[in-house]
Amino acid sequence: MKKLIIALFCTLAGASAASAHAFLDHADPKVGSSVKAPTEIKIWFTEGVILPFSEIKVTDSSGKEVQKADKHLDPAHNDILIVSVPALPPGKYKVAWSVVAVDTHHTQGFFPFQVVP
Amino acid sequence: MKSFIHRGLIAASAASLCGIIIPRAALAHGFEGDRFFPPTIQTDDPFAVDELSLPTVQLFQNPSSPGVSKTREIDLGGEFDKEIFPGFDLEFSDAYTTLNPKVGGATDGFQNFSLGFKDELIQSPDHEFIFSFGTDWDIGGTGGKSIGEDSFSTFTPTFFFGKGFGDLPDSVPMLKPFAITGLVGEAFPTEASNSNALEWGFALEYSLIYLEQNVKDTGMPEPFRHMVPLVEFAMETPENRDGGPTTGTINPGVLYESRYFQLGAEAVIPVNSHTGPNVGFIVNVNIFIDDIWPKVFGHPLFGGGSGNAAPSEPVSAK
Repeated sequence: MKKLIIALFCTLAGASAASAHAFLDHADPKVGSSVKAPTEIKIWFTEGVILPFSEIKVTDSSGKEVQKADKHLDPAHNDILIVSVPALPPGKYKVAWSVVAVDTHHTQGFFPFQVVP
Repeated sequence: MKSFIHRGLIAASAASLCGIIIPRAALAHGFEGDRFFPPTIQTDDPFAVDELSLPTVQLFQNPSSPGVSKTREIDLGGEFDKEIFPGFDLEFSDAYTTLNPKVGGATDGFQNFSLGFKDELIQSPDHEFIFSFGTDWDIGGTGGKSIGEDSFSTFTPTFFFGKGFGDLPDSVPMLKPFAITGLVGEAFPTEASNSNALEWGFALEYSLIYLEQNVKDTGMPEPFRHMVPLVEFAMETPENRDGGPTTGTINPGVLYESRYFQLGAEAVIPVNSHTGPNVGFIVNVNIFIDDIWPKVFGHPLFGGGSGNAAPSEPVSAK
């Protein structure tokens, strides 16, 4: 049993150079929050992502896409994906993201936020 | 694969006949749409993906039966699943069991080796729904006779499902993190004197991960924001040949998702005295081998990419 635990620990420790699926860590605006009209949507992922295979869509309550065509990574951090939005009128919005982490694994998700006057 | 407890229950009923009392998990990553279904411990999840569950340790007390005292059982198990074709895997599992009867000496040995497959039949990412079919072959005679393992094989064809509730109306956001997975199977022992049995169970989960990532960032601190509280029901209902009453366990617990592995712990509460006299517990480590060795795991051996693989084309810039 002790040998098994040691072997398991060594296996996991040896994996420290590996990467993992990219999950949403946090976002600005925050998931489910109510905010004044933002100028951009910024998502921090748990791993670096590959820009050409990654996307953020922002839709209003009618399902119309409102994001600008300028998705980009933070110049200093490949785990932060950013897209600009025009001046958003008050209402409910949904952010749908789809990324491929540097280890090539694909993940996706969505979250709502609300713009208040 | 069957849960360890299911294997144990089958073994227990068979072992009772032999005069010995005796009385089993799933990952890599099971995604359906935006939902990550964590690998559950006592009831197998519906995903046919690369998984390494090692170890699973269970402590449980088996009830007494005519001629046999109560017996404390410790199982140390493991399971490896490999996706062969997209949505189709092969599954291998076994466990080492130690039996300590209240009266008499302790015995130990391997359980029967188990081989199986699973095929994902229906998937609806938008509705976080999956439906699968698989069959487990508990290979008779490969386990220790001293712990009462069957000399005959048992085949268990099983239907699996998973459903996340992220598609509920926005008016009930706090219910969206709920998800349920379950299974219904029929165990067919190859020896005629043993009872067929309905294997059934489900896991009700509330994903704090889904809450924080898809519903509302509550600012929940670590480690709680990466936890999934759940309760599993693992049941077996014998159907003929004096197979006895329904037995099973209710298993409340929690799963913690880290970067490379999942830790899980559950209480094992017997549903009746035929299952056991005391509450046991089970702990499990699921190693995310698709993240640790992405070049080796996380994709099928044949037939191209899996659900985890990157799209073949860059997404178009909007």
